[in-house]
Amino acid sequence: MTSTEEPVQEGLRPVRAEAGETVEVRFTVNGTPAVLNLPARVTLADALRDHLGLTGTHVGCEHGVCGMCTVLVDGEAARACLLFACQLDGAEVVTVEGLGRPDDLHPLQESFGRNHALQCGFCTPGFLLSSYDLLSTKPEVTDEELPAELSGVICRCTGYRNIMTAVSETRAAHPEGIPEPGNCARRALVGRSGGQSATVVEEPAEPSGETSRNVEIVLPEGDPTIAVQVDTALDVPFDQVWRVLDDVHVLARCLPGAELTEELGEQLYAGRARVAVGPIKLSFHGIARVLEQDRDTGTIRVLAQGQDTGGAQTQADITLRAHATAAGTELRADAAVYLTGRIAQFGRALAGDISRRMFEQFADSVRQAATTGEAPQQSHAAPSAFRMMFGTLLDRIKRIGRPRGGKS
Amino acid sequence: MKAAPFAYARPAALSDAVAELVDADGGGKVIAGGQSLVPVLAMRLARPTTLVDINAVTGLDALRTVGDRLEVGATVRQRRVEHAPESAQVPLLRLALPWVGHRELRSRGTVCGSLAHADPAAELPAVACCLDAELTLTGPEGERPVRAREFFDGAMTTALRPEDVLSAISFPVAGAREGFGFAEIARRHGDFALAGAAAHVRVDDDGGVSAATMTAFGVSDRPVTRDLTSLVRTTGGDQAELAGALDEVVREVVDTDGDAHASNGYRRRLLRALAARELAKAHRRAVRGTAEVES
Ligand SMILES: Cc1cc2nc3c(=O)[nH]c(=O)nc-3n(C[C@H](O)[C@H](O)[C@H](O)COP(=O)(O)OP(=O)(O)OC[C@H]3O[C@@H](n4cnc5c(N)ncnc54)[C@H](O)[C@@H]3O)c2cc1C
Ligand code: FES
Ligand code: FES
Repeated sequence: MTSTEEPVQEGLRPVRAEAGETVEVRFTVNGTPAVLNLPARVTLADALRDHLGLTGTHVGCEHGVCGMCTVLVDGEAARACLLFACQLDGAEVVTVEGLGRPDDLHPLQESFGRNHALQCGFCTPGFLLSSYDLLSTKPEVTDEELPAELSGVICRCTGYRNIMTAVSETRAAHPEGIPEPGNCARRALVGRSGGQSATVVEEPAEPSGETSRNVEIVLPEGDPTIAVQVDTALDVPFDQVWRVLDDVHVLARCLPGAELTEELGEQLYAGRARVAVGPIKLSFHGIARVLEQDRDTGTIRVLAQGQDTGGAQTQADITLRAHATAAGTELRADAAVYLTGRIAQFGRALAGDISRRMFEQFADSVRQAATTGEAPQQSHAAPSAFRMMFGTLLDRIKRIGRPRGGKS
Repeated sequence: MKAAPFAYARPAALSDAVAELVDADGGGKVIAGGQSLVPVLAMRLARPTTLVDINAVTGLDALRTVGDRLEVGATVRQRRVEHAPESAQVPLLRLALPWVGHRELRSRGTVCGSLAHADPAAELPAVACCLDAELTLTGPEGERPVRAREFFDGAMTTALRPEDVLSAISFPVAGAREGFGFAEIARRHGDFALAGAAAHVRVDDDGGVSAATMTAFGVSDRPVTRDLTSLVRTTGGDQAELAGALDEVVREVVDTDGDAHASNGYRRRLLRALAARELAKAHRRAVRGTAEVES
């Protein structure tokens, strides 16, 4: 009697849910653990797109025919529209977002680009993951077999010739085996929020008490989505600025949209932050840990981790440095923000601009607080996206009209 | 194109799965790979009150040879069978699997799910009938065996009752003097067959044909199996002679009104050509005597 190794299914826990109830799913998406609470009828394709913000997985027919939604489940290509997300408990999912990074594409992506194998691009994610699966499980596949092997995905632009060439070229370039997906480090996933979908997503428990105290804020590996550095000159003496930085409560009130809700001890704080960008309104509940608060160097470093109501996470590593100058104080903010999904899709430049403006508003509030000794009154509403976007645009327009290196 | 709400149960024991189906009182449905069921739910052609997911049931994922049988549990994926060394002992299964949908569907679709779904154009029911595999049905009263040839009652209709789980199927391991053939014609690779044939031939030590079977699919409301021992014996396995001799069988076996994809007459011509070719191949392989899979 013999038997083959069954792929790991340890995560598949017994469960029972009535029609109106949700089911908890714990799985790994592009290397990042994710927990969702969904009605059983939500497909993996919808969970990825609507709840994890991974809109690279396209949906065409929704009944298994077109292949647009193809992703890797435990290393094998599968239709995300033919799987209920709840069935993926314990599984490892890789989507097109996990295949390569914008600045370091997977060889298949490179080859698709080089060979003009993407026309409208709608079928591209499906083709990429289907051909990844093919080349990783059948590296000896011949050119003659390619049309049949890739027939599970339909290109409506009939770009087949170029797609076959791209796959064939990638195979030839990697006779020893195709490289693994290159963007599967642990990172923050950002979900859709604002009650967009009819489905109920787990409202993250308000961090409190013991559980929160044990929370470790672990930053994702890899480069941050946005890195901002803002220098601001404040016409206030260092001592007064430091008084603001030294008081976490005042400091939090200076941050646009932020609110400190609980002090958890050991330099751990719970709070809320709201950000609105165009139609997108994100509300993060989260925790922050002050890692360093040193008057001698004028430095305060904070790690923050927020959970959006979409069940996804974002993380930031923020360092503020104040030092005395002849005119007052120079305040420098360095922030590494980790985001993926919907917000990241706005483009790094714009997301960076918005973060920058937030820090500028923050610095302005610090100046006020330092001068008056009191934090500025904040309605805890999200900072107006309109104003921020408008400001961003205005800045850009101003910059265009100004010679390089001109003073702002 | 979204499924209507349903209660979802994923028990860890087969008896609990059966109990869930009993409780659902006719409104329950088993989900294995979901590759046939989810489209049906998405189009709301079915609105079960409870889905019983059998994927966490311990023991159903077994793929093993026991004596001269290959046992395939209810949650064993088609793609796993396609590549597992054990299944090489059932060459017909290996020949047929690449024809089942696409790779992406076989990663999740199960062998038993395909049988339970009982699409008349599906490959695996034909394989099961050609080899006369044995199915194990588990219901409230326990297990009962059913022969594949008695399992299919018509299009998407089987011997399964609403509270039964098809817990396993076992195929006979091929002997050295057995040969097999499998082929179909579909409009696109991976699509359901317009017509297809599975063939099995066994020869005795002197090379005489001792058994020959052909199962046709895609041409009737269920797989149709015929004993063609004397026909293969008299033609000596010659493809051209077989094609001529198959006329009558094919006329009787092809039992559809024709549809948008193929007329009745076209299906007959397809089946005759495929059956003759695959029976001839099966005969050659049996005579060569290695029961190997090659194309
Ligand atoms: C685009 C497309 C193309 C396809 N092409 C083909 C093809 O060419 N050939 C082919 O054969 N199939 C094809 N299929 C069907 C599919 O891929 C399967 O092989 C199979 O029919 C489904 O198996 P499953 O495990 O996914 O079953 P499921 O979808 O989970 O179940 C199918 C049915 O069987 C029942 N069922 C499943 N398992 C059990 C069990 N253990 N006990 C009792 N009842 C059970 C379910 O209740 C349901 O009614 C195709 C599907 C799609 C979407
Ligand atoms: S959307 Fe999944 S196959 Fe078409
Ligand atoms: S590139 Fe448009 S569908 Fe394929």
